[in-house]
Amino acid sequence: MNVPTGHLLALAALLFGLGVLGFLVRRNVIIVLASLELMLNATNLSLLAASRHWSQPALAGQGDPRQGPILFLFVILVAAAEAAVGLALVIALYRLKRTIALDAAGELKG
Amino acid sequence: MAEALFYLLSAGTLAFAVGVVRSRMPLFSILNLLGTFACLAAIYLLAGFQFLAATQLLVYVGAIMVLFLFVIMLLNLGDAEEIERHAGLSLGGRRLAVAGVSAALLGLVGVFASHVTAAERGEAFAGDSRFAEHGLDALDGLAELLFSRYALAFEAASLLLLATMVAVLVLAKRERGVRGTQVSQSERETAPARELERSAP
Repeated sequence: MNVPTGHLLALAALLFGLGVLGFLVRRNVIIVLASLELMLNATNLSLLAASRHWSQPALAGQGDPRQGPILFLFVILVAAAEAAVGLALVIALYRLKRTIALDAAGELKG
Repeated sequence: MAEALFYLLSAGTLAFAVGVVRSRMPLFSILNLLGTFACLAAIYLLAGFQFLAATQLLVYVGAIMVLFLFVIMLLNLGDAEEIERHAGLSLGGRRLAVAGVSAALLGLVGVFASHVTAAERGEAFAGDSRFAEHGLDALDGLAELLFSRYALAFEAASLLLLATMVAVLVLAKRERGVRGTQVSQSERETAPARELERSAP
């Protein structure tokens, strides 16, 4: 695949932007969590794009292409933990309020 | 050939991502998310990360998506339109958010276009020829790094998973007699057992 790194990074940026958009605009907790996963995936894509960039023979010795995959694994781990805790919070919220609208949980708003 | 496939998959990823953000029902949002993850896994495969593509499919599609779907089924949500109707952000606020994110994105893409592609112009990407056999994420290299330089982070990750497990148990456990645990429709149908439970101290 002879695609420049910039295109991979642009795809990651667009994905991240869509995640931010969903996170800010939507009020359904489950969709907000899905947007969060979208952002984490964009991060993963940019990590792998960087790893692929540094694995070019012309850039040998300048960077370590193995770090991207390692960080990818850690990000995926954090994403799994975050999804579990987030969904437990969704269930707790639903039990308390009988809704999963984020606006229902605004007690701390001044 | 691979390039065309990459751009096709990129378009698919973005289309699915738009579906995630736009869907009215959480279920369709999650199904779109599944499509996004599948397209991303294919992109990883194309880029030479075979192991990570498999990991993406196993962890995201196999575990996280099932978790999301499980919660959606468990909550048995009714009218999803209701939630968005009471949206806290005004229409102006939404437009501002959309405009701001789009502007930031375009700026970011512009920076990439001016810097990264210029820096690597004229360099042939050797991802295919050099790494085609064992991929960019050769497992021996990863394992060596994971258990040497990242050993501490690896141990911390196991602690994080343990803490997550305990936290989820605490959050999801039903406390008895606490205000707010109102009886729902489904619970009312199994009332006798619960009444017994509640009358006990």
